[in-house]
Amino acid sequence: MALYKLTLLKDGSVGGVFSDELRKAIPKDSYNADWIDYLEWVAEGNTPEPADSAGA
Amino acid sequence: MSRNHAIARMMGRTASENTTHAKLTFGGGGIKFKNLLMNGNMNVAQRLALEQNGLGASTYTGITGTTYIIDRWRFAAAMDGACTLTRSTDAPAGEGFPASFKVDVTTVDTSLANGQLAHIQTGIEGRDLQHLAYGTASAKTLTCSFWVKSNKTGTYCFAIAKGDQTRMHFIKEYTINSANTWEKKTILIEPSSIIKASGGEIDNDVGLGFRVIWVLFDGADRDNGVEGWQADAAGLLTSTSNQVNLFDNTANEFYLTGCQLEIGDTATDFDFVPTDVETTRCKRYYQRYNRNANFSGMGLAVPWSTTNGNIPWHMEVQPRTNPSIEYGHLSHFDYFGVTGAGSGGVPTGFSNAGWAGGTNIDIGFTGSGFSAARAMLVEFDNTTTNLPAFFAFNAEL
Repeated sequence: MALYKLTLLKDGSVGGVFSDELRKAIPKDSYNADWIDYLEWVAEGNTPEPADSAGA
Repeated sequence: MSRNHAIARMMGRTASENTTHAKLTFGGGGIKFKNLLMNGNMNVAQRLALEQNGLGASTYTGITGTTYIIDRWRFAAAMDGACTLTRSTDAPAGEGFPASFKVDVTTVDTSLANGQLAHIQTGIEGRDLQHLAYGTASAKTLTCSFWVKSNKTGTYCFAIAKGDQTRMHFIKEYTINSANTWEKKTILIEPSSIIKASGGEIDNDVGLGFRVIWVLFDGADRDNGVEGWQADAAGLLTSTSNQVNLFDNTANEFYLTGCQLEIGDTATDFDFVPTDVETTRCKRYYQRYNRNANFSGMGLAVPWSTTNGNIPWHMEVQPRTNPSIEYGHLSHFDYFGVTGAGSGGVPTGFSNAGWAGGTNIDIGFTGSGFSAARAMLVEFDNTTTNLPAFFAFNAEL
């Protein structure tokens, strides 16, 4: 299980990531320190889990 | 009438008295908000027990990585060692500081590899540093003063990292002379030619302007710096080779408080900010909501599918930027339909479902059995495990 899972907004676009291990929901925001950490994690070659289906 | 005379008349003093005794002394204590470091007396600690009506801990044990315990102040670490962090009531006598940031070594790290470090750090937003006029010939001199205590005497380093434009760092050694004795240290931070030149600017935005650092140890790739401002030509350096290793013995501990960074070449009296004001300022970076009773409601949620819903939430203070949502444990929450539609359960995840400035935010949550557009109630469960039960908005630098 990856450290992060993508999260979706209501319009179906990726809004950020969720990590139950870190107990955090992180928005896609270039000034957010957790998002910066997430991008560094991706740059190290890691891949987040895909988002769950948005449901009907 | 000169400004000094006008101020003196307001204060019931002569102009010369006003100039001699204090500059703009409103209610005592000197000029307010002169301290560029928030919560420098370690007063506000939303994450700790004293702010939580008995919930939570006042001490964090087994810390091996970066951790906040006191608002705006963090222990930053990448190490093989471990420590206990405490908001300690041990503070220099007669100075009025309510607490100190204590690091107590519990596992040593005597083989300091590249990339390893242990620091006490705080951050300053770029918007709050524009008056330093960095990147111009008018760049201001700064003075940092602080109180420190440790059983381990010797040479320590204070550092500032500037990440905007040309990346630069400032290093200055200081000495803890007497074991287990509170000592006041003063660091002069003069703007060098590279700070005054193009590239010395600090971006006028909500990003990190300064990272201010008290080094406890540094790995080999960080501890070969020299004093003063230097460009990050060989990466970010935060100490000199004289820096001690606090983590070389489990008997070691380090205390810090009374931290003040101000414009000028002299350390002045500490700027005590009222608790309500300091708390509000800190909430720009972190605001926390604790469970106040079993089954206390968080609010009504609006499902927009069978598995997703949003909780409209009004924060107390506009955050610095789009915040992360933090929580203690998913089992601390539950949801159920309030209109006879939809089943109940425990959320399987949270998300930041929307923020566009201001104090309103949508907290997204996922689960199952939702009925779109049928209101649900989300509440804190009556959990007694994995305490403390809370959620928080984190926009720390």
